[in-house]
Amino acid sequence: MSAVPATPLTRAMLVEAPDDLDELIEFFHARRWSDGLPVVPPTRERVERMLSCTPRKPDELIAKVAPGFGAATVERIAINAVMAGCRADYLPVLIAAVQAMAAPEFNLQGIQATTNPVAVWLVVNGPIAEQLGVNGGMNCLGQGTVANATLGRALRLILQNLGGALPGEMDRATQGMPGKFSFCCAENEAQSPWEALHVERGFKRDQSTVTVIGAAGTHNMNTHAKDADDLIRVIADTMAFPTSNDYWISGEPWIIMSPEHAEVMHAGGLSKADVKRRLWEASKMSAGRMAKMELARTQTARSEELGTITTDTLLPVSRGPEGIGILVAGGPGTHSVYVASFGDARSVTREVL
Amino acid sequence: MVSNAFIGLGKAQARALGHPGLPLAVIPHPFGSRTRNEVRALADKCVGEIVKLAAAK
Repeated sequence: MSAVPATPLTRAMLVEAPDDLDELIEFFHARRWSDGLPVVPPTRERVERMLSCTPRKPDELIAKVAPGFGAATVERIAINAVMAGCRADYLPVLIAAVQAMAAPEFNLQGIQATTNPVAVWLVVNGPIAEQLGVNGGMNCLGQGTVANATLGRALRLILQNLGGALPGEMDRATQGMPGKFSFCCAENEAQSPWEALHVERGFKRDQSTVTVIGAAGTHNMNTHAKDADDLIRVIADTMAFPTSNDYWISGEPWIIMSPEHAEVMHAGGLSKADVKRRLWEASKMSAGRMAKMELARTQTARSEELGTITTDTLLPVSRGPEGIGILVAGGPGTHSVYVASFGDARSVTREVL
Repeated sequence: MVSNAFIGLGKAQARALGHPGLPLAVIPHPFGSRTRNEVRALADKCVGEIVKLAAAK
C-alpha cells in the first residue's frame, strides 16, 4: 500500500504496511490497533467491498465514541469490521450498534472507562439474524460461529480504536473479562414461547434490530427444576449477591433463559412480564448482606427511590420488574445464564436499516 | 480532579475533549480501604491545590 492521504480529510488515510504476513501482524500490534489477536488487513479493496453493502456515504458520521470521542464514520466502522474478520454484509448491524451505544442512557463513557469488567453485549433480533447466520442456539456465547465471533470483535475494535479505550489507558478495567474480545448472539426466537426482545420493545417481528447491553459477566445456572415456582426461586437466589453493582445502584440485570427453562415457565402459565415480576420480588436482597461501605453507597444512591435504607431493608435488583431483561437463547440443556449488569447503564435497541 | 491511578485517563480524556493542557488536581489512590478520618485528612492536604486550580484563569 502507498502512503497517500485520501481526500477529503474526513476519509481514512491510506498507510503503507509490510507485505510479509508476520511483519504485518506485528505492524498492527505495535500501533495497538488490534485486540491482541491477528487482524485481517483492511485493504482499500476489502473496505470498499464492505462499503458497497450500505447506501450510506463513507464519510457519514454515525456517532462519536466515548471516552476519546473519535468519529465513527461509516468508513471507519467498515475498516474495523474488516479487521475483525466480518463479512461485508455485516456492516449495517455494526452501524446500528454504534448508534445504539451512543444513546445517553447507555452511558458508554462509564462503560468504557470504569474499573468494572463490563463488556458490551450485542444481541441481534429479527430476520437479519438468520440471514447473517448469527447464532442464538447451541453455544451461542461460545466459539465457532463467524457472525457471533466477528461482530462482537468488530464492536470491541471500534470501542478501542475509535473510542480510544485502550487497556491500561482509558480502559481502566481491573481485570476485564473474556467477553471484551467478543460478546454477541441472536435470540432463539423460534424456540421462545414469548414475544421476542425487539417485539417487546415495540418493533415488528419482521424488523431487524440490535440491542446493546452493559454486561458485567456470565454466570451459569444449571437446574433441572420442572416447576415454574421452583425455577423462579433458584434463579432469584442466584441473582442476589452482595457484591453486585445492580443492588447498590439499581441496575438492569439479564437472564439468558434456555428454551427448556422458558418452556417450564410458560407451562406454568407465566408470560415474560410475569417472570420478570416474580423474579423482581423473589430476588430482593437484605441490605445487611452488603459490606458496610456498599451499604453506605447504597444509602446514598437509592434513598430517594427506597426511603431510609437500613440493614433490614430488602433491596430490589432494579427500579421495577421491567428493569430485568430476559432473552431466550441457547440450545438443548438445563442451563440458563445470569448476566449481572454494570448497573449505571440501560440497554438500547436500534433498528438495522 | 483524579486519583493518581487515573492520571492517564484524566490526561487522555482532557486531550479528547480538546483541552490537552488541562491542569489536574491529583489525589492519592485508593479511597476504598481508607477510614472516613483518613479521607478527611487527605481532603485537607489536597484542598489547597484544588482551590488554586479552580480559581485559576
